[in-house]
Amino acid sequence: MSDLMSLLSIGAASLAAQNSGVAVASNNVANANTVGYSRERVDLEAMIGAPNLGGVRSNDPQRYADELLGNRIRLAAGSLAMAKSSASALADLQDAVSSNGATVDEQLATLFSDLGQVSASPTDSSLRDQAVTAQRELVAGIRRRAAAIDDQRQQANERIIDNSNGASQLAKQLASFNLQIQKNGADPMLKDQRDQIATQLSQLVGGSAHTDANGQMRFILDGGAVVVDGVAASKIETATDPTTGNAIVQVVDGATRRDVTQQIAGGAIGADVSARDKSIAGAAAGLDQLAYDISTKLNAVHAGNAGLDGVNGRNMFVQPTQVAGAAASMAVDPALDADPSKLAAAAPGAGPGDNTGALALYNLASQGVAAGGKTLGNAAIDLATSVGTQASNANSDAKGDQIISDHLAGLRDSLSGVDVQEELTNLSKFQNASSAMTKLISTIDAMLGDFISKV
Amino acid sequence: MRITGYRMIDLSAAGTANAQSAVADASAEVTSGLRVTKPSDDPVAWTAAQRAKVRKTLAEGATGAVKISRDQIQQTDGALGTLSDLLSQVRTLAVQGANGTYDANARTGLAAQVHGLFLSAIAAANTQSPGGEYLLAGGQSLAAPFAPDGTYNGDAAARSVATDQSSTAIATIPGSRLTAAFGVDVLPLLDKVATALAANDLPSLQASIGDLDTAVKQVALTRTVTGGAMSVLDATVAAHAQLATNLQTQISSDVEVDMVAAATGLAKASSTLDASRTVSAHLIQLLQQNGG
Repeated sequence: MSDLMSLLSIGAASLAAQNSGVAVASNNVANANTVGYSRERVDLEAMIGAPNLGGVRSNDPQRYADELLGNRIRLAAGSLAMAKSSASALADLQDAVSSNGATVDEQLATLFSDLGQVSASPTDSSLRDQAVTAQRELVAGIRRRAAAIDDQRQQANERIIDNSNGASQLAKQLASFNLQIQKNGADPMLKDQRDQIATQLSQLVGGSAHTDANGQMRFILDGGAVVVDGVAASKIETATDPTTGNAIVQVVDGATRRDVTQQIAGGAIGADVSARDKSIAGAAAGLDQLAYDISTKLNAVHAGNAGLDGVNGRNMFVQPTQVAGAAASMAVDPALDADPSKLAAAAPGAGPGDNTGALALYNLASQGVAAGGKTLGNAAIDLATSVGTQASNANSDAKGDQIISDHLAGLRDSLSGVDVQEELTNLSKFQNASSAMTKLISTIDAMLGDFISKV
Repeated sequence: MRITGYRMIDLSAAGTANAQSAVADASAEVTSGLRVTKPSDDPVAWTAAQRAKVRKTLAEGATGAVKISRDQIQQTDGALGTLSDLLSQVRTLAVQGANGTYDANARTGLAAQVHGLFLSAIAAANTQSPGGEYLLAGGQSLAAPFAPDGTYNGDAAARSVATDQSSTAIATIPGSRLTAAFGVDVLPLLDKVATALAANDLPSLQASIGDLDTAVKQVALTRTVTGGAMSVLDATVAAHAQLATNLQTQISSDVEVDMVAAATGLAKASSTLDASRTVSAHLIQLLQQNGG
C-alpha cells in the first residue's frame, strides 16, 4: 500500500518537473524575439532511488548569461556608439568645411588668378571689378564656413544636452532595476532588462558596469565617477561654460557637482565632446588662422602699393585685430569694396599703368606666407584634408567597432540566444515525459482502486 | 559554436545590407564618374587633386594675363607698323621736296600731305587698348602719351607680366623708344619736315632726310623688340595650354573612376547582392520548414 502511494508521489513530482520544463521552453520560444533576452534551462535532478523514495525534481531555471561577456558587450557598445557618432559629426564638419560650392583654396586661387589678370592691364576697370568680386566671394565663402563650423559646435552642444538627459534617465532606471532585483531575488528577466539599460547607458556615456556579490550593478564613468551604485543613482546634468558657451557635463550627487566632461571617453556624448573640443575647435582655429593670414599678408603688400589715384597705404581687407574670430569677421576693405579703382596694382609714384603691386599680390600665391611656412592655398587645402582624414578615420573606426560588436553579438547569441528548433525539441521531450507520467499516475491509481475494492 | 536560427537570419540580413550598400556605392561611382567627391573618400588623392586644381587656376590666371598682354602687344605692333608706313611715306615726300626742281608752291602742297601724315602718326602712337589704356605710354597709360606737337609725355616704364609663378615676360613697349634717347624724336621730326616744306627751307629739309632714315630704323628696331616679346608670349600661351592639359589629366587620374573597373565592380556587387538575397530566401524557407 505504502509503495503504491510512494509511486504516486514520484509520479506527481516528475509531472511537476516535466511541466516546468515545458513552461521554460514555452517561455524561451515566447521571448525568441525579445532584445537582450537570455534563454533559460531547467536542470532536472534525480532523487535518491530505491530503497528510498527516488524520482526526479526540477531546480530553479538557469539563465544562460556570462557576466564577463556582458561587460565586453557594453564596452563594445560604448565604443561603437562613439565611433558612429564621431563619424556622423565629422561627416557634417567635413561638409561645413569642404562643401557648399567652391572650396576656400579654389576661391583663393581664383582671386590670385584675377589679380594676375589685373597685372596685364592695371587700368582696365572690368578686370579690377572681377578681382574685387573674387575677393568678395572669398570673404563670403570663409564667413559661410565659419558660420557652418560654429553651427556644428552648437549642434554638438545640443546633442550633449539631450544625451545627458537621456543618460540621467537611464541611470535612474538602472538603480530602479537594482532595487527590484534586491527585492525579488535573482529574477532572470529583470537581469536581462537591467543589462539592456546598462548597454544603452554605455552607448551614451561609455564607462563600465560591474555586478557585485549581492547582484547589484555599479556603473562607473571612465574617469572614475560613479553614476549608479546599487539603488542610488547620480543625476547627469549639463551646464554652460561661461568662457566658451559650450555645454559641460556634470555628475550631480546631492549637493556635489563634478565636471566629468573630459572624462567621458566613450558613447555618443564622448564622441560629441571630442568632436566639439578637438575637431570642430581645430577646424575653427585653422579657418581663423587662414583668414588672418590672408587678410594681413595681402594687406601688407596692398598697403605698400597704390591705386589708380596714386594713393598708397590702403588695406585690401579689414585688418583683423587677432586670430580668434578672424574668419567670422573677415571683410573686404570698405573703400576698396565701394571703388575697385583703389585696388593697389601699381608701385607708389610709378603711374597707373604700372603693375608692380598686382604682380606682388599675384606672387603671394606661391610664397610660404601662411602659418607653418605654407602657401595660403596649401594651408586651405590642408585644413580641409585634416577634417577629411579625421572623418575617414572615424569611418574606419566605426567599421572596426561594428565588426567587434557583431562578433560579440555572435558570442552572446551562441550562449544566450533562443533557438526555436531546439526549444521545440525540448518542448516535445518534456511533453512526452509529462504524458508518460500522467499514464503512470493513472495506472497506479487503477492499481490502488483494484486493491481497495478487494479489501 | 552554437548558432541559432535567428542569428542566421541576422547574419543573412546584414550580408544583404552590405551587398546593397556596395551596389549603391558602385552605382554612384559609375553614374557620377567620380571616385573621390570629398576629402574623406581618399584624403591623399583629394589633396593631390586640389593642389593640381589650384595650380591650374593660377596657370589659367597667368594665361589670361599673357593673352591680354599678347593682344596688347599685337596692337602695339600694329601701331608701330602704321607708324613705319607713315615714316616711309614722309621720307618719300621729303626726298621729293628736297629735289631742286620743286618750287615753294609745290613744297607747300607736300607740307600739307606731310602734316596729314604727322597727324595720323600721332593718332597711331596714341593707340588705346579695348580697355582704354594708351599702349605706348609706359606707366602713365591713362593719358595720351604724345602731345599734338609729337612731344612724348609718357615714361620709360616697360610692364612685365607673370608667365608662371617665378618668371615674367615683357608685356608693353614704352613710347620712349620713339624719342631721342633711342635715336631721334620720331614724331616731332615729322612736324619738323612739314614745317621745313612749308617754309621752303631746303637745307633743313635735306638735313631731316638723314634723321628720317634713323627714325625708320628706330621704329624697325622697336618692332623687332615687340616681335620678340610677342614670340615669348605666344610660346607661353602654348606652354600654359599644355600645362593645363597635364594638370587636368592629373586631376582626372586622382578623382575620376576607371570606368571599366567601376563597371566590373558594379557587376560583382550586383551578383553578390543577388546571391545574398537567394541565401536569405533559402534560409527563411528552411527555418519555416523546420518549425523555426
